[in-house]
Amino acid sequence: MSSIIHIKDFTWRYISADKPAVKNINLTIDEGKFVGVIGQNGAGKTSLAYAIDGLIPGQYHGVKEGEVNVLGTEVEQFHKGMLQQVVGMVFADPEAQFTAMTVEDELVFGMENLGMSIPEIKERLEWVCTLTDMTPLLAKPPYEISGGQKQRVALAAVLAMTPRVMILDEPTSMLDPYSRKRVFDVLGKLKHENKMTVIVIEHSLENLIPLADEMILMSHGELIRHQETHEFFQDIDFLLANGVYPPETPLFFHELRKRGYYKGPIPVTNEEAIKVFPCKTGG
Amino acid sequence: MNKTLLGYVPEQSPIYVVHPFVKLFFMLVVSLFPIVIYAPEWNALIMLVIILLMWYSRVDMKTLKIYVPVAISMGTIILISYTVLGGNHPEFRLLVRFAGINFYWERIRDGLVVYFRILPMIFTMVFFLSTSRERDVIVAMRFVKIPFVVTYVFAMALRSAGLVLEDFFIIRQAEQARGFDTTGKSLWYKIRKYIMYMIPLFALSLRRAEEFTNALVARGYAFTGEAARVKRPDYVLTHYTFKTLDMSLTAAISAIFLIILILRYGYGYFTLDTSVFISWLSRVL
Amino acid sequence: MQGSTSGKELTAAQIWSVEKGEKRSVNVIHIVITALLIGIGFVVGAFGSISFPLGFGVNFFWTGIAVQQVGSIWFGMWGVIAGAIFPFFSNAISGTPFYVSLAYIPANFVQGFLPAWAFRFFKADPRLKTGRDYLILLGAMIVSSAFGALWSPLVVLKGFGLLTTDSVPMFIWGWFGGNVVAGLVFNFILLKALSPVVIKTAAFVKKWWA
Repeated sequence: MSSIIHIKDFTWRYISADKPAVKNINLTIDEGKFVGVIGQNGAGKTSLAYAIDGLIPGQYHGVKEGEVNVLGTEVEQFHKGMLQQVVGMVFADPEAQFTAMTVEDELVFGMENLGMSIPEIKERLEWVCTLTDMTPLLAKPPYEISGGQKQRVALAAVLAMTPRVMILDEPTSMLDPYSRKRVFDVLGKLKHENKMTVIVIEHSLENLIPLADEMILMSHGELIRHQETHEFFQDIDFLLANGVYPPETPLFFHELRKRGYYKGPIPVTNEEAIKVFPCKTGG
Repeated sequence: MNKTLLGYVPEQSPIYVVHPFVKLFFMLVVSLFPIVIYAPEWNALIMLVIILLMWYSRVDMKTLKIYVPVAISMGTIILISYTVLGGNHPEFRLLVRFAGINFYWERIRDGLVVYFRILPMIFTMVFFLSTSRERDVIVAMRFVKIPFVVTYVFAMALRSAGLVLEDFFIIRQAEQARGFDTTGKSLWYKIRKYIMYMIPLFALSLRRAEEFTNALVARGYAFTGEAARVKRPDYVLTHYTFKTLDMSLTAAISAIFLIILILRYGYGYFTLDTSVFISWLSRVL
Repeated sequence: MQGSTSGKELTAAQIWSVEKGEKRSVNVIHIVITALLIGIGFVVGAFGSISFPLGFGVNFFWTGIAVQQVGSIWFGMWGVIAGAIFPFFSNAISGTPFYVSLAYIPANFVQGFLPAWAFRFFKADPRLKTGRDYLILLGAMIVSSAFGALWSPLVVLKGFGLLTTDSVPMFIWGWFGGNVVAGLVFNFILLKALSPVVIKTAAFVKKWWA
């Protein structure tokens, strides 16, 4: 599998800040991987995401060192608007992403920016509406839909551009549990059906872990761990020390292991946990 | 119901049969009629036609109630301007002198004429605002090939006006929760309170600017550079067809305007001299 | 956009100067700021037009002047454009005829342009640090509102035949006073409170367009 993102010795300091937001980041992400990025607030997760999407340094004043490469090209080398055809981004606040007057206009906006033809737009629109269950909402204006629906619209609007990389920055932080699940259902479809490279910054680990191939932990602007998901959650003490609270299942098995009741690898999902216990047959 | 720029129109309204461009064209051209028509009875007729169009379009006629105070205050201002502040003009016909103020026939006449010229202009605008959804205005602008950036700024401005209003109510509730209430306070106090609203409103909008920008950039929008030169398909226009009815209505509005111009400047119609109402009023007074 | 200016306290001259190596360009944020200013002005201006009307969009106390002038100082021509456009919408909602609103545009343009020009030409500090900054703002407000007051009632309203010659002074003073008084109430406080934040944003315009 080839790498789609390659970051080398990347450091970024916002112009009004004394300290860098991210420092000495070295990271390679292979195409088709689903990567979760976690860490405390202020760890530099969003700045990292913005750097991959070209918003840093494109939209922000600051001092940059190192390289951020997408598909082998430094992000600053992309012409304006071109990188976003490769890297799509969904932000945390659904309200701030809706700039059109109807859901349909919002979904079509990105495709119009790409200069796609009307038949192509119609086809892509149908596809993304089916994927995200948007069809009943198409004619609705932004103020008539819920926060969860807005976030799905934001996701659909970026998906319609079929980027090779999708970055989602805390996409469910402002959503209720049901809406959160619906967003992750869409992400699950992207992973299994579309094999898209997905990077999700999240605090809600229960929904993230079942999908993530790899996990990244950021702390104080540095990337301190990048591992395959199962491996990542074997060192719970390290995660806790760095302000990450794993879901109940790995935490429970961590406690069992600490007390000597369990010696095996820590399962990260409920399904894996159930398999730990011997199967009981009826009769 | 569909939300328009000023109120709501039922989904079954006949106004949707008409292409948005025709509504915009109607507003732009019919607003010109009172500029050339001086005779009050003709301007009153224009007003009546617009009211009938609003009724036919199933606009909630209570919308007009909002403009009753506007019409009254405007009428008062015009009356004051043309009477109290009308000055001394011995060459005019004095109708009555009251409380040291001269009321001349010519000033009353001119004030009436101005009032009846303004009212149809307002009604035309109200008709347009109460029958046009936000999307309709954008479609009309795109139809006449106004550059995308202009129409998009307009759309974003409408969207942000809605957001600013929401922010305003939230800030007001937050201030009230902190015991900041202007009930029973002086006008000066109330004016100062708006500073308490304006600063957070500006601050929120600045933050929103950054978020909107990131969202736009993330969707591949660029104002300059290669991406800005991409030919955009107007997908929104695919939902609207400019039909024979629309062409006929546009032609009819243009023809009526042309006829008015010919009658006005070629044959002296619609002037004060040919006004039946003014003649009658002059005899009565 | 990369800048080399540090977060340390800037002088007025530094605020308006493009430093060596600093790259500034027109960007999407400027379009967004224009739209947002139109949106804010629409709401704030409509409030003034409806609450304190004199007639034909002229108001005793027009709150929209703050958006026009402060927006122009911060965002250059983008603020000036927004300031020229938003009164058109706020006037439309409050019942001012379409072509009268259209004819007000030059007045609204100058009311935004002049403070923006004055601050850049005289290198006044938008954070209003010294008495000189206050005076420059006051002077710009007075001169620009005077132009607006002469253009709108005299040229527009008299030109449309909506006013008698004798009543024009009332509207001139109404326009002038309505703008200057509202400006005195809002402009200084807004600039003082928010300029320190605004000048650090990517949207802040040092020259006219970026």
